[in-house]
Amino acid sequence: MSDRRIGVYICHCGGNISDYVDVDRVRKAVEGEGGVAVAKTAMFACSDATQQEMASDIQEQHLDGLVVASCSPKLHLHTFRDVARRAGLNPFQYTQVNVREQCSWAHTDDREGATDKAIRLVRGAIARTALTEPLEPIIIETVPRVLVVGAGISGLRAAIGLADLGISVYLVEKSPLAGGWIGKLGKMYPHGKDGKSLIAQLINELKKRENITLYTNAEIAEKSGSIGNFDVNLRVRGQEDTTISVNVGSIIVATGFDAYQPEEEEFGFGLDGVLTLPQFKELLDSSAGRPVFNGREIKNVAYIYCVGSRQQPEVENANRYCSRYCCNAAVHASIIALEKNPGMHQYHLYRDMRTYGKFELMYSQAREMGSYFLKFADDGPPVVERGYDGKLQVSLKDLLTFGEEIEIKADVVVLVTGMVPRKSPELVDVLKLPLGRDRFFNEIHPKLRPVETMVDGVYICGSCQGPKNSIESVASALSAVTQSASILKKGYVDLEPLIASVHQDLCNGCGECVATCPYAAIEMEQQQGRSVAAINRALCKGCGGCVPLCPANAIDLKGYTDAQVRSMIDALLKETCQNE
Amino acid sequence: MALVNPNFAEEIGKPEAFNASACMNCGVCSAVCPMGIELLPRKLFRYVLLGLEDKVQKNSETIYSCLLCKMCEANCPAGVHIAENVRSLRYYLNKKVYNL
Repeated sequence: MSDRRIGVYICHCGGNISDYVDVDRVRKAVEGEGGVAVAKTAMFACSDATQQEMASDIQEQHLDGLVVASCSPKLHLHTFRDVARRAGLNPFQYTQVNVREQCSWAHTDDREGATDKAIRLVRGAIARTALTEPLEPIIIETVPRVLVVGAGISGLRAAIGLADLGISVYLVEKSPLAGGWIGKLGKMYPHGKDGKSLIAQLINELKKRENITLYTNAEIAEKSGSIGNFDVNLRVRGQEDTTISVNVGSIIVATGFDAYQPEEEEFGFGLDGVLTLPQFKELLDSSAGRPVFNGREIKNVAYIYCVGSRQQPEVENANRYCSRYCCNAAVHASIIALEKNPGMHQYHLYRDMRTYGKFELMYSQAREMGSYFLKFADDGPPVVERGYDGKLQVSLKDLLTFGEEIEIKADVVVLVTGMVPRKSPELVDVLKLPLGRDRFFNEIHPKLRPVETMVDGVYICGSCQGPKNSIESVASALSAVTQSASILKKGYVDLEPLIASVHQDLCNGCGECVATCPYAAIEMEQQQGRSVAAINRALCKGCGGCVPLCPANAIDLKGYTDAQVRSMIDALLKETCQNE
Repeated sequence: MALVNPNFAEEIGKPEAFNASACMNCGVCSAVCPMGIELLPRKLFRYVLLGLEDKVQKNSETIYSCLLCKMCEANCPAGVHIAENVRSLRYYLNKKVYNL
């Protein structure tokens, strides 16, 4: 029999729960459970009045545990933890039971069953709560410095944004020059400014700020520590490699993309006159007058879209995603080409035009200026060959001309190539960054946590996390700045204490947990002459992966100890156990 | 296989007179045509744009059955001057095919 004093509150959620679950029957079934001091129902547990009632119950009845059976913890875990905290109860002695999603919503056809299930779940929560102990959030002090990896437009803009907030920045660039892809570009859309001058402007701003240090020819070699306090070794190439150690509070990764490189013979790649979009853009940018290829004026151009993007699943290592920037970039390139040579004929062979948002205007402009658009089917890609007359010829079935077989003679064929993830295995290895299915770096949630990664304190931005144009890249870079600054300016972060802990007297030092931890949060340390596992409290995410693996049963997850989970199972299966 | 001929559209008229490049193939014109002409204007304009000359010549009857009522033009979301374009096509056929 438990000597705890637990308060249990069962919510009607208006009728969301009580229409299907008999909340009074649940209350009656659990009020006699060991350790339960108060058992009540409430119309809306989250209302101010009920929160107030819970708080005064906690104080007047000297409760030392709290259970609320209501909705998903995603919605109200923090609401009720705060109730506990306000009333002087440790918030980690609170357990939420999700009887709305898991009982009433899931079993609208079976009220009896829904109610029985709710009783078991609440009983399980009471059993868990009876074994809770007070826990404190883990407080980590933060260092007001940031390491930015990659000095393209995203990295440069992030560095300037951080510096303006009073945060020191180490900016690391692998190549000899800062500026990335944009630094090589001429005229860009939608403003008509050229990439080179945008980067020059950013570098000029960079130079004005004393709290930014730029290292070119440099890479990350090693990283240790955790959110708020990372030690990173940088390898700077030169006549002799030098290692520079920096101590930072967070890391922003802005390593960008690679342009897709077509396979030999893919859409005629390898034939003279078949260029990729970046190559054609360079040709346009470097032509003062009418664009010329191999000494001859370019009169006819055929663009083939979606090269290296939205590939059919049969292709080996297919890039299934849309590269997002290429429709706009190709349409823009054709407008520049027409400005340079108004007599040029341009044929765009596309699968679907995706000139989203404001760029739709550019698509209209290109059509009005006289670019021709032809559409091919997913399973009928155009064929590029060298004709008998020595000219390149492109043939396709044009869906817009009702499946007519069309042949185009072209001086230049432009393969509109997409973005692919930059291969940086060493970075993945050192930073432990997770990759998505498309092999770009993965954020935690594309909408709600778009620049945060599974590694606390390491943020991603720009096109290293997926195809983006420069506008979107800079927006995400500034988002990473805000996320970094929010922890560094506060001076500390508080983390959930629901993490693994090692009973070092039981540990036999086998090291299995070290090998399995996906966050590198476990290390071996020497204790009284023997080697035992120790948890880095800042790195551990409380995933529990190490717990069942330990042959000595020496690891427990705080908040979900073996004893707690066992007692929950017993409580859930109470009737079954009694019947047998 | 039809070979694209970029000079054909230019031959039909000055590029500003014949302008169908803004056409996005939505089909509103065909839907509102009181003559129920399916080919005109969007399909025929495609042939002109890509320079498929014999396709245009083969469809001269269709080009002459247009009433020039401008229902299609009034409803065109891309603002293509359809009736003007049909006139340009007739001018071309008169000269080139009928030697008028």
